[in-house]
Amino acid sequence: MKLSRRALLTSLAAAGAGVTAPGVFAPAVAQAKPCRIGILAPRSGIAASAGESGLRATQWAVEKFNVGGGIAGRKIELVIEEETNPKDTIERFQKLVQQEKVDCVQGIVSTGVGLALGPVAEEARALTIYWDGTTQDGVDEKLPNPKYLFRSTDNECEAVMSSLLAIKHWKGQFKTIAGINPDYSYGRNNMAAFVALLKRFSIEHEVVTEQWPKVGTMELTSHVAALKAAKPDLIFSSLLFADLPVFMKQAHAAELTKGTKLVFPAAGWQHTLMKKDFTPEGMIFGHNTLYFDNPKATALQREFVAWYADKFKDYPNWEADRAYFAIASYKDAVENAAKAKGASWPAIDDVIGALEGSSVESLGGKGSWRKDHIADQTFVQGFSTHANKYDFVTLDPARIETMYSTELQKPAGTNFWDWLKMAKFQI
Amino acid sequence: MKHGSALLLVAIAAGALALVPLLAPPFYANLLVPFYGYAIALLGFNLLFGYSGLLSFGHALFLGLGAYTAAVVAGVWGIKEFEVALLAAALAGLIVALPLGWLAVRYRGIFFGMLTLAYGMLAHAVLFKFYHLTGGDSGMRVPRMHLLGLEFAAYNKIELLAGPFYYYCLTLCALAAFLMWRIVRSPFGLHLRSLRDNAQKAEYLGVRVHQFRLAAFAISGIYGAVGGTILGFRTGLADPELVYWTHSGHLVFMTVLGGFSSFLGPVIGALALTLLQDQLQSLTQYWRLVLGAILALVVIFLPRGLAGLAIDVSLLLGRRSAPSTASTTETA
Repeated sequence: MKLSRRALLTSLAAAGAGVTAPGVFAPAVAQAKPCRIGILAPRSGIAASAGESGLRATQWAVEKFNVGGGIAGRKIELVIEEETNPKDTIERFQKLVQQEKVDCVQGIVSTGVGLALGPVAEEARALTIYWDGTTQDGVDEKLPNPKYLFRSTDNECEAVMSSLLAIKHWKGQFKTIAGINPDYSYGRNNMAAFVALLKRFSIEHEVVTEQWPKVGTMELTSHVAALKAAKPDLIFSSLLFADLPVFMKQAHAAELTKGTKLVFPAAGWQHTLMKKDFTPEGMIFGHNTLYFDNPKATALQREFVAWYADKFKDYPNWEADRAYFAIASYKDAVENAAKAKGASWPAIDDVIGALEGSSVESLGGKGSWRKDHIADQTFVQGFSTHANKYDFVTLDPARIETMYSTELQKPAGTNFWDWLKMAKFQI
Repeated sequence: MKHGSALLLVAIAAGALALVPLLAPPFYANLLVPFYGYAIALLGFNLLFGYSGLLSFGHALFLGLGAYTAAVVAGVWGIKEFEVALLAAALAGLIVALPLGWLAVRYRGIFFGMLTLAYGMLAHAVLFKFYHLTGGDSGMRVPRMHLLGLEFAAYNKIELLAGPFYYYCLTLCALAAFLMWRIVRSPFGLHLRSLRDNAQKAEYLGVRVHQFRLAAFAISGIYGAVGGTILGFRTGLADPELVYWTHSGHLVFMTVLGGFSSFLGPVIGALALTLLQDQLQSLTQYWRLVLGAILALVVIFLPRGLAGLAIDVSLLLGRRSAPSTASTTETA
């Protein structure tokens, strides 16, 4: 048989079309292709320890999930980029989406970055799950009903919980209060929330001083001196970066911690640096959504903490839980959506639909997604103790309190300050 | 390098940049948008540094000013025309630069540097502390705007940046470069160079030192603000970090890397740093360390930056080819 050039070209074109046509070999190719997850996490500067904790938890989860077949049969592959300032992080995000073609982006610790990145993620139509970032400008939601973006719990959850604990346990035991909080919206809103709740519960109080050190400032002597001079009965502080242990050391040296009640909603970010030498017992100490030494921890948390301690000679902070929640809920949603579609890889809209309203067991307890794409998670706080095997403070096992964030964060569409006035708090 | 061949090289480079959205993956077009912002700002910065001998450590103030002006124009006043934001930013740059420059240009060297650094830190403090006006640490949103009256509604933001906005910025950068070229080649530019080389002698010859430096400061402020408007539009946010001293250091780094002794040196530095940082950030978490080492090496071994290196290489090649051509002619 003679094969003309035209016939050969037609045959080649037909064969090419057959191979490349969607649907012919696509499922097999799709299953073989790894599921790429882009991670944006801080790796230097004041939030580096949080980023590292989150990254380690993600890597642990990926190892674990990949042993079990990955996500809906696709092995997971991580593409890690650094979260820095808003401008550069948006650049890294675009690289993950446009260049690396990831299936989902996860990460973000800074609210400033989260606020800037939110609209970009929406515009890019890229499924994005924040670990700890919100899209709140102060306490006002700037992206009320995003389609592609899933945000963490409100930043004020821990402050609300600490305030409620202080009121519950110390009502009538303090009158003068002071604050030392980082000078940005997080610190200012936390302090304001504490004062608002004191008013709400008719706690007689007087704010004797408010100190606002710049985030990450290590020279806190003047702030400590101002607090000492004010002689408050209670100090409220949402310091949470590397400046927290420095403050505690200086406060201890100035005998500020003696006889003063301390309320520290976010101290758990630096928990292993809060040494017994200078951190007193009996302070309200927040661990956010993961307390590594929780006596009521699930088997999942115990397994993770044991792996973390063995591998890194360290103990994870709550960022690990946020990161695990992000990847575990994504896996759960993809698999549920795939099941509903007869095992084929689901479209992004199907994954989003499956994420909304879903719940998974995270490291620190139950976590779920609201319809407005804001997370609900389990918060743990308590009173510090020296009675442990570590060189840093932990929580007194008899006085650990756990609250689900439905009790701690404003419902969709409400104003935070109005909600504080009207919410039914369980004290 | 001869004037004609330099022009040809610039035209080839501009042509190559124009092809980026068509030939390169869309990410690279997106990546280069801030490069245009920096390139415009650095053209102004180098009028001050390279041509007038005044090294500002607070120049990021003007980039921040441009971004915040765009946020106010589009976000607060609701004017969605990018050209209005650019004009407003240029005007704001001029208005702010005049009083700041009036005081600063009386000093030189480290004193000028420290004074401009102080301006930057003051601006950062104002933006950071005045929450109700500036949004504090959260900054102000810079909404999407129309380009030349066109909304480009069919494009999402990433497509807009990698397509129409890319060409818009390329054109703006080319216009800004042409204008700056005319400025530095004008008698005004010659006056600035004479001030840089020997201010006392120039003053004896009748050059009004403070006025000329002030004019350079004002022009560089306008260029900085225009560059900042591009950065703000691209990120969608004006935040206090834009005016922080580390961002000013970033501008100095770009200028030194590219070479402040040549007209396009800072622009080359901006392009090199943008691409280098992108690659390094993906390769290693210690990218800052590598960038620091590169800066040290450039200062030690390439004090005239990448542009100086390119000129040296072209001169060397020219010298080598000249005798060989001569010998060929002789042989023939």
